[in-house]
Amino acid sequence: MTTLGRQLSIGPTDNTSDQRTPRQRLKLIPETARKSFVPYVPARYVSRTHEWDLTRISPDRPRAHGEAIEITGTVRTQSGAPLRHGLLEIWNANHYGRYRHIEDHSGLQLDENFFGMGRVVTDENGQYKFWTISPGAYLARPDIGRWRPKHIHISVSGGSSRLITQMYFPDEPNNHSDPMAILMGDAFERNVGTSYETPNIDVEQGFRFDIVVGGRNATFFE
Amino acid sequence: MTQETGQKTLLPTNEDTTGPYFPIYFRDESLEDLTRVDAGVVGQAKGTPIILRGRVFDRHGNLANGVLLEFWQANAKGLYRTPETEGHTDIDPWFNGYGRLRSASGAYSFRSIMPGTSDNRAPNITVTIFSDGINRIVTQVFFPDQSANDADPVLNVLTESERHRLIAKHDGRTADGAEVYLFDIIMAGDGETPFFDDLQS
Repeated sequence: MTTLGRQLSIGPTDNTSDQRTPRQRLKLIPETARKSFVPYVPARYVSRTHEWDLTRISPDRPRAHGEAIEITGTVRTQSGAPLRHGLLEIWNANHYGRYRHIEDHSGLQLDENFFGMGRVVTDENGQYKFWTISPGAYLARPDIGRWRPKHIHISVSGGSSRLITQMYFPDEPNNHSDPMAILMGDAFERNVGTSYETPNIDVEQGFRFDIVVGGRNATFFE
Repeated sequence: MTQETGQKTLLPTNEDTTGPYFPIYFRDESLEDLTRVDAGVVGQAKGTPIILRGRVFDRHGNLANGVLLEFWQANAKGLYRTPETEGHTDIDPWFNGYGRLRSASGAYSFRSIMPGTSDNRAPNITVTIFSDGINRIVTQVFFPDQSANDADPVLNVLTESERHRLIAKHDGRTADGAEVYLFDIIMAGDGETPFFDDLQS
């Protein structure tokens, strides 16, 4: 059987996906050039010490509106090796579904105590932890009533691992109409956090989200 | 996806769209100019300074706003900085080879040094695009008038018109001596930039 490069799919009802998704089948990389397609990111300790807690803009400021949650997990490559000292860049909408990004023109309510961006570095075992506010869902396509379900953006980089993904929440009504979730099919479940109780810490609940960086690049230098 | 037999394999987390709001807050200027590791320290990357600039377009010829671009390249001697080349005498201590920038408008300008020729490869820079509407697409940009282009294995899987789309255009030199190259990317549709599959290959 001859292997072909992937034909990328367009997210249903996603105008930007229609505008930006390549129409040509991706080309296979010749073996002699394969290694050159493996970027290697040196460890970047650019997180500030308070950035693991997105529930406050700084430690002496009040809590943002909404439900404070903890997210924990381990980052591994597909072979099971932990990603040590990997940088996680995290961003999510506030309780009302608004990003504090200069290009978010939705007009939804801002929260003066919520920044919505943070960075953490994985430890020796690939583990990470951060706190944030449970994000609001927002109406992405008012014309057809399609919502973006609650989600947290996470970008992982370190060594030859590179992944930009989103963590979704269990049992959300909008999960299954999301264009990208539709493209993921059954594999969508891997992007859903698992709830746990947090009786002894100052958040209302926790979600476990283990991340596996896939593809040959991630394991290239193992 | 191919996997080596006998290797423990976990199911990968799905890649997902970056969305339109990748935080500008995460900008790192040291990744936008690879001619130095930090603007405040002595130590310059060896090689010819270049500026790679251009625009990213969507299927309708509109600028693709809010794109995140990442770059990966060999140093002036053609060597990539990876665990394999650790300690190699041709490693440039002042050059890592990984760059990143976010473009609000879809136009970009990236400062680096001209990558060297290596093994069987013509000078090139791997460009990864993350944006709203897509997960991640990857290509390589090449440079005009490089004799190694003729035998480059990546350029050689392309048709003549596709090759032209991956070769940047020289556009003079800045007052401070950087060679300027123009490289526009068309994400979809007429004149689409060739993209490569690093999952299936």
